[in-house]
Amino acid sequence: MIFGVRHSVAVATALGTLGAVIIAVLTWKGAQVTSETFLVTTYIGLFLGALWAMYATGLVVVYTTTGVFNFAQGAIGVFAAFFYWELHVNRGWHSILALFVVVGLFAPALGVVLDIVIMRRLRTASLVVQLMVTVAIMVLLLSVVGDIWEADTARRVPYLFGINNGIDLGPSQLPWHRLIVFVVAIAIAVAMRYLLRRTRIGTAMRAVVDNRELAALNGARPNVVSSTSWALGSMLGALGGILIAPELGLDPATLNNVVIIAFAAAAFGALKNLPMAVIGAMLIGLLRAHTVAWLDFGSDFRFAHLSIAPLLLLFVVIALPQARLEVGRLVHHLRRHERFTKWWEGLIGCGVIILLAVAFSGGWLNFLIWDPGAWGSRELNSANEAMALALIGLSLVPLIGWAGQINFAPLAFAGFGAFVYLKVIGAGWVTFLGLDRLGLDPQDIRDIDNGYWILLVGLLCAPLGALVALPAARLRGLYLALMTMAFAQAMSLIFFPNPWVMPIIGTGRQFPHIELFGVTFDDRRGFFLLLMCVFAVVVYALVLLRRSRYGRRWMAINDSQAAAATLGVPVVWTKVVVYALSAVIAGIAGVFWATVSGNVDSVQGFDLLIGFNIVLLVAAAGVSIPVAGIFLIFIPLFTGLGHRLEDSGNVDFLVTLLDIMTTYGPGMLVLGMVFNPRGAIFEMGRGFSPILPWRSDARAEIAAENAQKREPEIGELGIERPFTPEEVIAIDRRLGILDEVVPKEGYGAARS
Amino acid sequence: MALLEAEQVVMRFGGVVALDNASVDVDPGEVTGLIGPNGAGKTTLFNVVTGLLPPTSGTVKFDGVDITRAGVSRRSQMGIARTFQKLEAFNTLSAFDNVRVAVEKNHRAKWKHQRVNDVAHEMLGKVGLDDVADVTVGTLPTGSARLVELARALACRPRVLLLDEPSSGLNEEETTAIGQLLLGLVADKDNDLAVLLVEHDMSFVMGVCARIHVLDFGKIIAVGTPIEVQGNEAVRAAYLGGDEFRAGYVGVGE
Repeated sequence: MIFGVRHSVAVATALGTLGAVIIAVLTWKGAQVTSETFLVTTYIGLFLGALWAMYATGLVVVYTTTGVFNFAQGAIGVFAAFFYWELHVNRGWHSILALFVVVGLFAPALGVVLDIVIMRRLRTASLVVQLMVTVAIMVLLLSVVGDIWEADTARRVPYLFGINNGIDLGPSQLPWHRLIVFVVAIAIAVAMRYLLRRTRIGTAMRAVVDNRELAALNGARPNVVSSTSWALGSMLGALGGILIAPELGLDPATLNNVVIIAFAAAAFGALKNLPMAVIGAMLIGLLRAHTVAWLDFGSDFRFAHLSIAPLLLLFVVIALPQARLEVGRLVHHLRRHERFTKWWEGLIGCGVIILLAVAFSGGWLNFLIWDPGAWGSRELNSANEAMALALIGLSLVPLIGWAGQINFAPLAFAGFGAFVYLKVIGAGWVTFLGLDRLGLDPQDIRDIDNGYWILLVGLLCAPLGALVALPAARLRGLYLALMTMAFAQAMSLIFFPNPWVMPIIGTGRQFPHIELFGVTFDDRRGFFLLLMCVFAVVVYALVLLRRSRYGRRWMAINDSQAAAATLGVPVVWTKVVVYALSAVIAGIAGVFWATVSGNVDSVQGFDLLIGFNIVLLVAAAGVSIPVAGIFLIFIPLFTGLGHRLEDSGNVDFLVTLLDIMTTYGPGMLVLGMVFNPRGAIFEMGRGFSPILPWRSDARAEIAAENAQKREPEIGELGIERPFTPEEVIAIDRRLGILDEVVPKEGYGAARS
Repeated sequence: MALLEAEQVVMRFGGVVALDNASVDVDPGEVTGLIGPNGAGKTTLFNVVTGLLPPTSGTVKFDGVDITRAGVSRRSQMGIARTFQKLEAFNTLSAFDNVRVAVEKNHRAKWKHQRVNDVAHEMLGKVGLDDVADVTVGTLPTGSARLVELARALACRPRVLLLDEPSSGLNEEETTAIGQLLLGLVADKDNDLAVLLVEHDMSFVMGVCARIHVLDFGKIIAVGTPIEVQGNEAVRAAYLGGDEFRAGYVGVGE
């Protein structure tokens, strides 16, 4: 404690303030600060803060009452804004009517449907499944918006009561719209606080999330309560979206990214404290407005002002106290037997993958009715892109699949890996470190086969991964998810757009072809084979790792952190290590990913949404199994197939179908996790393994399951409904007392 | 001096006082009991001792060292191991791997693979789970999963073993076996082991414990030998007439 303040809070505040002051001094524009300009900037900041507060309020309400953190909050706002535009602008409805239809009818209906169909079933799901599903909803909603309202027309949502009407403030005007937003946002926050703390339904809402069964016994109706929460949250998201659209413009990605600001604001209130969340939102709004007004970051850091929220989130995460390890949350229920791939099975599997890839791409396989033929450059390009993505996906296997920790930033690490690679092979560091004066010639570095440097890239990515994970690893898993998302956004806003980091696209091949063992992989086919081999090696390494003491330990902390800690496993450190390993794999994959095309678009290439899709696809595939990475072939494969079909003409419906699958596929697949959290690969493996001659255990398991299906289920021991005569016989047979006691005409007849 | 001492521990959750100046001491070479009605604060005390909960006030000492501020895994490395009332087994791992996680963390790093496996098998053997070593714990019955937790705790080479209702989910025969195992472990001078046992099965507690602490509403209301505790009026009152304390039950291990 320092002056009665917790250490972590003091450190975070000091770091944040110091950083802010340094940045402000370095980038001061030199504009004159008058009390008038200062006031105007302040009211813009408060207004922005009010908008974000509305989103944050929705997040906090849903989180405190259902325990699910809704990543789709922003996307609901996006959808509502477009819907409102459709009704008000396109169809000419009155703004109040349109507002009522969208916020008053559509949004609550959406919330209730989401709750009934999906969210209710997530109550006992793991954090990974919970987050993946809400992210999937986000991606799906954005895809729907993109499909209905295509980006080819310019759209604007007008201000309520116009931009020119309002209160005169001297140098400028405060439009009614902004004043209303401010008042409404504060009123909503106050009302929600009152609802949660002082009303019956609010108390019931908070009780249900703590203990659903107990609350139900005391008269709360959990289903009604959770539907109410989701309806409320959805309405707040919709209102926020409609009110913010006039300020930011109707662009799905921009509007959706607002949610990160709301996350930071919510985190400021430790995700549950409404007043603090509102203060957090206001703080971000003020910082943003004053930054834009007084500071100039130059063209190299042109998006820097957008990264205030991710940075604030970082400081909040540093300031939060270490989380307690939870006990008693574990549900001990019957699961399927877990079997780990044996080392020689992994070896055979990886060999088969390589052989099949070689044969297929070479056109050596003839399927009698369909001869695919050798792949052309376009197919090979798609395949290369797919394999690079699959490699990035592999980085998530130990982290999400085994340790149960979430990473939304695989692309950021991949990009960092690509960046390090470019700098290392450029040999600029030789002069930078002054090594040339010690007799090291930069040309010698450039002469080394550049592929060897990939290992160094991996090594340098590890500390970055550890650094990102360290502050959040002390906290609950959700914060790590938020941190990684903030990190991904900060990287794509500050780091990658800098021309020193990533060269501007379109000036020739920036990433040279990879050279290894004296061979230059400059043709696509050779590069494809190299990628296949690297993929196989990483998969095999993961198979071995899963069987090792480290793999065991990671799965142990996923199952129960408290138990692992009481056995002496340092939980925080273990998480950091897995995270660093994940960063290493992603960084190495990033080098290949950048080398596929030789150019990376520094703004679009690291878009958070692409990162989400990677995470979603791997999760849907079954992230605990290394081969799941191969599912990422899905993205470029379908795109490639689409091109090919388009070329051949006359198959429009197939093109459309593929387009739909590419757009909605990942999200839809993840929604399947609600029912099958293990993922697709797992089920496929269960179907396939009995074929293998040495897997008598798999055959036995299937046989046992079939036998169980044949035997009638006994049900809830007669509590829910009376036994039928057949069930009585089934029980007797199981107990081995059948022959002696069954009356000839059966129990049913005897009872009646 | 006792090996493990919790002194004047207070634990408040908001307005609820879960532990109210509770003091417990545990000596090596014997099983110490901790009993009390539901909600008396037994599990909370375990959580405070193992570091899962920071106490509102009070100290926890281990071997004379104040460990009130030490982390969970640090305490484990010092020799405090536990099992949980609500199961915390690693459900996705096999019984064998559950124990191996503990062995690998608590024995010397240079140990070869084979040695780790041997020790893990030995621990599973002690609790009688040899034949389900390769079964995924999530598919085992609750009683067996509880024994996996016990084997895991033993694999930490503990100096103090905290057991939270080890007999629940076990049948009479298995309970007796666990009692025998505990008495054997504490009797072995090489182990120098102390056991703190939370248990609802009174005949089990009275049979294996040398001393018993009785907790009620967060306060220690009695400490003594089984006979003394059974005769204590406050204890009888806490247990609503004390039907469970009638004399003449058959103790375990006697």
